[in-house]
Amino acid sequence: MTRPRGRLVAGLVVLGVLVLAAGFLGGRLSSGTSATPTTESAAAGFLRDMQVHHAQAVEMALLVRDRTDDETVRTIAYDMAVTQASQSGAMYGLLDAWGLPQRSPQPAMTWTQLPALDGSDAAHDMDPGAPAGMPGMATPEQLAALRAASGDEAVRLFLELMIPHHEGGLEMADAVLARTSVPQVVSLATGIRRAQEAEIVAMRNLLAALPVAPAR
Amino acid sequence: MATPPKDPSPTIKQQRAEKRAAQLEAFKKKEAAAKRNRLLGIIGAITALVLIAGTVTTVLVLGAQPPTPQEVDDELVSGDYRDRLQVFSDVEAGHVNTPVDYDQTPPIGGPHNPAWLNCGVYDVEQQNENAVHSLEHGAVWITYDPAETTDDEIAALVALAPTTYTIVSPYPGIGEAMAISAWGAQLRFTDVADPAVEDFLTEYWRSPSSPEPNAPCTGAIDGPGKVS
Repeated sequence: MTRPRGRLVAGLVVLGVLVLAAGFLGGRLSSGTSATPTTESAAAGFLRDMQVHHAQAVEMALLVRDRTDDETVRTIAYDMAVTQASQSGAMYGLLDAWGLPQRSPQPAMTWTQLPALDGSDAAHDMDPGAPAGMPGMATPEQLAALRAASGDEAVRLFLELMIPHHEGGLEMADAVLARTSVPQVVSLATGIRRAQEAEIVAMRNLLAALPVAPAR
Repeated sequence: MATPPKDPSPTIKQQRAEKRAAQLEAFKKKEAAAKRNRLLGIIGAITALVLIAGTVTTVLVLGAQPPTPQEVDDELVSGDYRDRLQVFSDVEAGHVNTPVDYDQTPPIGGPHNPAWLNCGVYDVEQQNENAVHSLEHGAVWITYDPAETTDDEIAALVALAPTTYTIVSPYPGIGEAMAISAWGAQLRFTDVADPAVEDFLTEYWRSPSSPEPNAPCTGAIDGPGKVS
C-alpha cells in the first residue's frame, strides 16, 4: 500500500506545481491587460509631445485674450486655454502614474514612425525642421509678433497661427489613434480631435468676418 | 438402486452464494467508484484552490507595484550620474519681494519672487529670485560661466535644452563647471556632451518632485536678454 500512496503523493505534488504555474500564467495574462506603456511607446511619445503642443496653444490663447475686447474671440480663447491646460494635466498625470519621465528619450514625433496597429498606415511624414519638430507650431518670431500686436491685428495673427496649430494637433491625434489602443490615450486623442475640428470651423468663420487686413 | 439424475441446475444454496458474490462484486465496484470520485473531488478542490491562490498571488505581486514618481528607474540613467548628483531635501518655498541669500550657487530652491522667469534662452545674467520660482514649477536651469565657456559650448547647451520648461542663462563666477539645476537637485559638468546631463533631464525635467509640477513657465516675466 505504501508504494501506490507514495506515487499518488508525488503525482499530486507535480500536479500542484503545474496548476500553480497555470495560475501564475493566468494571473500574468489577466493583469497584462493593465500593463503600462513603455517609455518608447506611441502612447508615451504622444502624451509628451502633445503637452508641448498644447502649452503653446495655451500661451497664444492667453496672449490674444489680453489683446482684444472682442467677446467672441475672448470666449473661444478662454475655452482653448482652459481645455488644453486641463488636457495637458491629464497627459502629465498619465505619464506620472505609469512611472515614465516627462522627458522623451527621443526627438519629437519619433513615435509617429512606429508601425500602425492595422499595419496599413506607412510611417507618418515627419518634418524635423518644423518649430519644436511638430506640425503646426508657431516660431518664436511669430509669437513675438502676436505679443507686439493688439486689437483686430492681434486677433488676425492669432487665428492665422492657431488654425494651422489645430490642424497639426489633428495630425498628431490621428497618428496616435492609428498606433495605440491604450484606452486613456484613445479617449484623450478622440476628445482633442472633436474639440479642435469644431474650433477650426469656428476660427475660419471668425477670420472671414474680420475687417479687411491692412497691408503688412 | 437408481441414483437420482444429477441435477444440472445449481442448488438454491449455490444460487444464493453466487448472488451474494455478485452483490459483493457490485458493492466493491461501487465503493471503488465512490473512492475514486472522492479522490477526484479532493484533487479537483485542491486544484481549484491552488489555481485561485496562484492567480490572486500573481495579480497582487504584479499589480501592487506603484511606480515611485520621485525617482526614475536606474535602468534609465547611466554611469556615475547618481554619484555626482547633489540632492537637497526640505527646501523652503514661499514668496518674498526682497533679495534672497541662497545656500547654493546657482540656487536650487528657496523663497522666491512672486513672478517666475519665463523659460527660454537668455544671454545675460538673470535674477535668482525669479528663476527659482520657475524651478518650483518644474523647470530646469542650465547655467554657465561666460568667462569660462566658448560660443560653441553655449550653442551645444542651447541645443540639448528641451524647448519648454528650461532656462539657459549665463551665471558669472560659477567657474569652469557648468550646472544644471532643478528644485532640490543639481549636477555640475564640464563637458557639454556629458551623458549625465541627459540623465538629469530624464529625472528632473518637469519632475513631480518639484513643488508645483505642470504650473506654467510662460506668461510671467521675460528677463533681460531673452534670445528665444
